[in-house]
Order: sequence, then structure tokens, then C-alpha cells
Amino acid sequence: MNDQTFGEFLTEFFDFLSRRYDDLIEVGLEHMALVSVSVLLSTVIGVIVGVTTYRTERPREIALAVTGSFLTIPSFALFILMIPITGIGSPPVIVALTMYGLLPIVRNTITGLREVDQATVESAKGMGMGRGQRLVRIELPMAWPVIVAGVRITTLILVGIATIGAIVDGPGYGTFIFDGLARVGSPAAINLVVSGMLGVIVIAILFDTILAVLGKLTTSRGIR
Amino acid sequence: MTDTSITHTPDTASIGGAAASGKIMIKLENLGKQYPKEPKPAVDNLTLEIPEGEIVILVGPSGCGKTTTMKMINRIIEPTSGQIILDGEDVTKADPDQLRRKIGYVIQQIGLFPHMTIAQNIATVPKLLGWDAKKIDARIDELLQTVSMAPETYRNRYPKQLSGGQRQRVGVARALSGDPAVMLMDEPFGAIDPITRDRLQNEFLRLQAEVRKTIVFVTHDIDEAIKMGDRIAILQEGSRIAQYDTPEQILTAPANDFVADFIGRGASLKRLNLSRVRDIQLSQWPTVQLGDDHARVLDVLRASDKGFALVLDENRRPRRWVSAPDLQRGGDRPLDEIGLPPEATVEPQATLNDALNELITANYSVAIVVNASGEYQGIVDIDSITEAIRTMRTDARARARIGLDADDSADQAAQVGR
Repeated sequence: MNDQTFGEFLTEFFDFLSRRYDDLIEVGLEHMALVSVSVLLSTVIGVIVGVTTYRTERPREIALAVTGSFLTIPSFALFILMIPITGIGSPPVIVALTMYGLLPIVRNTITGLREVDQATVESAKGMGMGRGQRLVRIELPMAWPVIVAGVRITTLILVGIATIGAIVDGPGYGTFIFDGLARVGSPAAINLVVSGMLGVIVIAILFDTILAVLGKLTTSRGIR
Repeated sequence: MTDTSITHTPDTASIGGAAASGKIMIKLENLGKQYPKEPKPAVDNLTLEIPEGEIVILVGPSGCGKTTTMKMINRIIEPTSGQIILDGEDVTKADPDQLRRKIGYVIQQIGLFPHMTIAQNIATVPKLLGWDAKKIDARIDELLQTVSMAPETYRNRYPKQLSGGQRQRVGVARALSGDPAVMLMDEPFGAIDPITRDRLQNEFLRLQAEVRKTIVFVTHDIDEAIKMGDRIAILQEGSRIAQYDTPEQILTAPANDFVADFIGRGASLKRLNLSRVRDIQLSQWPTVQLGDDHARVLDVLRASDKGFALVLDENRRPRRWVSAPDLQRGGDRPLDEIGLPPEATVEPQATLNDALNELITANYSVAIVVNASGEYQGIVDIDSITEAIRTMRTDARARARIGLDADDSADQAAQVGR
């Protein structure tokens, strides 16, 4: 790269992009699918964990400690540890990503539910709403903006970590980056790594925008 | 009172005496709440009967257990002993959600659902009760009108778009939505500025005069209790009843020192708020007609022990106060050009407090009572007010004595029972 000017690099990079265009799109879609599934699983599991633990101190602390400890496991290690259980490809990546994505969602679900005004909940109770009705019709809708914020953080984290999944043959832009890593020194290496990185950034922005809009649409005008 | 043209003015709206039926709507029997690890029960063996169609106020210092007592009626707080009888039915063990749908509930913070529109808020209980959509829709409009909010403007607004007073109104509308026979209100006007509070209280009293719900109302403010209550239960620590009676009776004959202290100073003045000019004996002062000659006026004045005569026009409306010196100084001028104008007039539905206020500031220390069309009825002077207070005291003591006798025999019966 030293004997290459930045202009020359750009020309060559755009050339690379146009040659590998189809490939980039396809890998991007795979990356998005992988992250979407994981975020969805994290959200479902995280909200359920949050809803079942937010009322009592002990379970709440345990839930946060456990999901927090998941995040401290190095991703490299976790992906590899999954192989005996799930084999290679997408499954180990999805399981690991789901685990990584839990903490922000569990934490925000608990925070959101605990911040719901108790007078509102009491008036719902006083009007004859049962426990379940209160949760579904009052507490969750009121906590929803906070939960969505958690989902957005999870999504950003998972879009990044998903690249490491390539080490267990997972799909996504990680394959570009690891290919590049394997060819350090050759001109193609930089192209591969940079395109993989840019792809991740584009997906992150895209997802965050979609979630922002979705969050707004699903939040009542009364609490926006 | 023969004058049928009298209408309630907002600041004097009041509910009549006891409800027509005399039926007991809520009966609390030996109700108790003992929290674990607390040395004393929050509510200690409370027995209370709440008549149908009345506003019963639970009032007392903070920590006396009044809110706990109220919340046991819809079992937001579960009692640890005793029974709750609602409309003849023991609901102590009934399904709490079913029970609560039959009881309107308004709390100080109001607790509107912020993510729902006003219409959706009001529709909550009707939906739980399984009403069909059309009926719910009609009910929302009806209730919004009842609380003086235009349905087309407010139906689709969210709580955050309303003022504090409007939220409070929606809170009341929401509590009324399932047409409950009973309403529980926990300091419903507590978080509202004094001017709006006064207006909302008056609106609520007018509304109650129409709907006649049985209402249990908690407050720590004795003035609010006196204004809103058909009956007041003054509670001491452990929700023990210090006195349970009408506001008039509590003000005139406090049962003990605790009650007297709690009412505070100015009980007699507060009492004057509860009596109206039409209820007392008016004084009669000499009156003359506008066209009468001065000699006749002097005759009338000489025949009376008062120093002034009131000049009435052909419609018996007061025009002028005249005295003997006025007549001399005035020469031949007509009666409505001498003396002083008749200020300080009150209508029969004014409270004695209003009348007192008027007469203190008036020239001759009297207030002239006129009916709605301005015709002279009589005079309130300081003597008529002190006389009224004296009568109230005597009556209250007599009633208290009867009440005590009844209590004594009940106590004895209870002791025999044990």
C-alpha cells in the first residue's frame, strides 16, 4: 500500500466493488438475516426474562448478572465452544449472538417496567384489570420506548459481533474480513477487509434507522 | 321555603340531607388490617355503615389509616380481619377484579393511562364488562358531556394534552364509566391548585346531585370534608372513629377534644357556611314606599326602635335607607334622593357566612335579603346570626345526647354479647 497513492487505491477499490457487487449484496443479505434472527430471539427471550423477574429483587439481580456475564465471554471462544453442540455455519453464530444480545434487552425491559408510574398501575388494578391485562395493556405499552431502545443497542452490538462468526463458517461480511486476513500482503486483502467493514457499517445504519421508525410507529402518541 | 325560583349557585351547591332510601350500601364490620412486623394494626376493628347515595368523608391526620380503610373496600389492600358487606353481599372473599369493576376508583394522582386516548381511558371498565362497541361509544360521549368537556374536541386527545383540572374531570368520568353504585375517591382534588379545586368540587357536587352515587371520599383537609360530605368520619390512629356525623353536627357539637382540635379554630365560622339565610328567622326593619311623604316616614321611624327605614319601590325592591336626620336635611326632596343607597343585599340561598361578610362591610351593619327578582324579604343583622348560632348549638347538643344514649345502649348490648 505504501507505493500506492490514495487515489490509486480508491480506483482499484471501486473496481473491486463493481466486480464483486453481486457477492457483496448476497453476503450483506445473509449478514442481515443472521442478525435479524438473533435480535428477534434475544428480544423474545429478553422481554420474557425481564417480565418474569422485574418485580422481585433477587431474580432481577440474577437475570442481570447472568446475561451480563454472557457479554464477558470472548466471542472468538464462544463461537468455537458452540461447535460441539450446534456444528458449524449459522447455528452456532445465532446461539452466541442471541446470548450476547440479551443484556441490553433484559436490562431495558426491567428498567422500563419498573419506571411505569405506580399510580397508573394502581388505577388499572382498581378498575378491575387482572395481572395479565395490566401487564399487556398498561405496563408493556408504557415501557415500550425503553424496550425498543434496548433492542436498538442489541442490534448494533450484534451487527458487529456477527462478523466474528465467520470463524465457524458463519455467513456475512465476516467472510470478507477473514478472507482478507488470510491474504495479508496482497492488494486484494485491503479491498476485502475495507468492503467487509463498510458493509457492516451500512447494515448497522440501516437497521438502526428501521428500528427507530418501527419504534416510533409502535409507540403510542401519548407517550412519545 | 315557598320561593321555587332559587337555583344553586356554584359556590353554594349542596346536597340535601340523608339519602331518600336510608339503605346501607357499604357495611364494614370489625374490619382490621395488621401488617406483619408492625406493632399496631393500621386499621383496628373498624365498624362503619355507609348509607346509599351519600358522600361519606374519611378524614384524619396522616397515618390514621383512612386511605388503608378506603382501599380495603375494593381490596386493593386485603383486610386481615372483619368483613366488607357491599349492597347486602359479603365481598370479603369475592373475586377482587369482578368487585373492582363495580366500584369507581379515583386516586389523587388520577392515574390516567398516558398511552391511551381520553376515549380509550374512559372505555376501560365498559370493555372489561363486555359492553358492545356502540354502547361504549355513546357512554364516552355522555360522560364527557357530564364533566363539561366537548366530546368531539377531547375524545382523541391524550392525557398529556390536558390541563390538571381536565385530567381530574376525565378521571371522574372514567370512574363513572361502568355506572358503579359505589365510588371510592382518595384525595381526588389534592394535587390541584386551590382555584381549580374549588370549581371542581362544586362541579362534582352538582354532578353527585344528579347521579347520587354512594361515595367514600378520603381527605386530610377538614374544610374539604365539611364542604363535600353528607357525613364525616373523623378518624384517629388505627382508623378508630372519633366521631361519625353530619358536618353541621361535628362543627357544633364535637364529640371530644380530638375532634375539636382537628376541626381547629373557627368552627363557628365554618358552621356558618353550612346554614343558609332562608333557614333563619329574619329581622324586620321599618319600610316605607317610595312615594310616601316625609311625615309618614317620620311616624314609621318614631314607632320603631331602629334608626333607619328602608324605602321600597312599587316592586318592593329596596331603593334607599333613610333616617330622621336625613329627612330634616333633605327638605322636600323625594325619598330616593336622600339617605344612603341600600348596599349589602343577599339572596335566601346565600350562606350565613356570605351574609355576615356583607353586613360587616355595610353602612348600617345589616344585610338586606331579597329574592331572585329583587323583592325585599327581610334583614339579617348581627343579632339574627348570633341567634342562629345559639339555636344550632342547642339543637346539636340535643341531637348529640340522643346519639350518645343510642350508642350507650348499643355498647351495653355489645358487651352483653361478649
